[in-house]
Amino acid sequence: MKAFEVGGTTLCLALFSDVTNSKELLDLMQSATLEPEVAFLNASLIPDVFPVLAAAHKTLVAKSRDSLTTRTLHSELVYNFSGSKHISESLKRCGIADNTSYILAARFGASADEMVAVEKLIKGNEIDLSELEQRINQAQIQKHYKISNLELEISSLADAITCRIAARDAL
Amino acid sequence: MEIKADGSDGSLVLIKQGAEARVFESTFVGSRRCIIKERFSKKYRHPTLDSKLTLKRLNAEARCMTKARRLGVVTPVLYAVDTVMHTLTFEYVEGPSVKDILLGFGLVGVDEERMADITTQIGNAIGKLHDGGLVHGDLTTSNMLLRSSVNQLVLIDFGLSFTSTLPEDKAVDLYVLERALLSMHSSCGNVMDRILAAYRKSSKQWSSTLNKLAEVRQRGRKRTMVG
Repeated sequence: MKAFEVGGTTLCLALFSDVTNSKELLDLMQSATLEPEVAFLNASLIPDVFPVLAAAHKTLVAKSRDSLTTRTLHSELVYNFSGSKHISESLKRCGIADNTSYILAARFGASADEMVAVEKLIKGNEIDLSELEQRINQAQIQKHYKISNLELEISSLADAITCRIAARDAL
Repeated sequence: MEIKADGSDGSLVLIKQGAEARVFESTFVGSRRCIIKERFSKKYRHPTLDSKLTLKRLNAEARCMTKARRLGVVTPVLYAVDTVMHTLTFEYVEGPSVKDILLGFGLVGVDEERMADITTQIGNAIGKLHDGGLVHGDLTTSNMLLRSSVNQLVLIDFGLSFTSTLPEDKAVDLYVLERALLSMHSSCGNVMDRILAAYRKSSKQWSSTLNKLAEVRQRGRKRTMVG
């Protein structure tokens, strides 16, 4: 678990591999009974924490203006990370599915107790965030964010994703 | 949970003020150094028109910057777009502008190797932009930076950029650069010829653009509208 400073609040991130209860987590989330509320991201699309922080920043700005596009602060984070305007497709691709075993959990302004609760909720191995880069599914990232090899000659995957997250509403 | 609405984490330091925008240095999430470009409203314009124009240009700039990257041309990484505050937040590029380097050459003599590297990178970058149908619109040596660590050319300020496939628009883009080089850097010799040599190699459509450039040189940037 690691906390990052974003726009005057914190974002706590915890990375899990070999998760066995993603269906249960998904059910809890969809019935809005997840306690505490937390965002589950498909970690194979995340090469670095920076794009997640950029998406979190965007989420907090929208929250401060009461202009969230989705229902909750944490679903908005998943939606923003997708870089797409299609909400259900975003939640499907960048969120978790029944069989997802590699998950990044994120919570805004979490207390230590809450993060312990999150860690108990997820049945898997917590691993260090530095493992993100080696565990990506690059083909899936390039397809989802439409990143060409030409762009990768001058840019890292993380920077390319960040640009798409930031520019989404300008397109 | 308290959330700041100003969209930034750190303090703002004004770096430059232009006619269209103010440029600040600040920090973005995870204490990364960043640049914030704020387009301010023009009080002499009708408020409705003003907000429409400002928003349109803000979005166009974000689009063009990211499009350039997709074409393989280095521009600062875009971190955030704020349509309420009319700001763009992007990566802080550490390094001098090509303008400062060329002015330095004017004072102490031209470093031939460095000059060849810079002009090749400029020609390549413009060729890639133009072949991808993107016109920069304000190609001057102050809108080109060289990232210190790797000597990599970074194009900035896409505030006047637009998409076009017309040889006319590309030729005017080159012509603007040619005039800027003539007025700022005439002591460096013929920089434009070196850039055009690289442009020719990089752009597949160089011939129609350079033919048009010859025409534009005759008449200037504005098209004659007589007859």
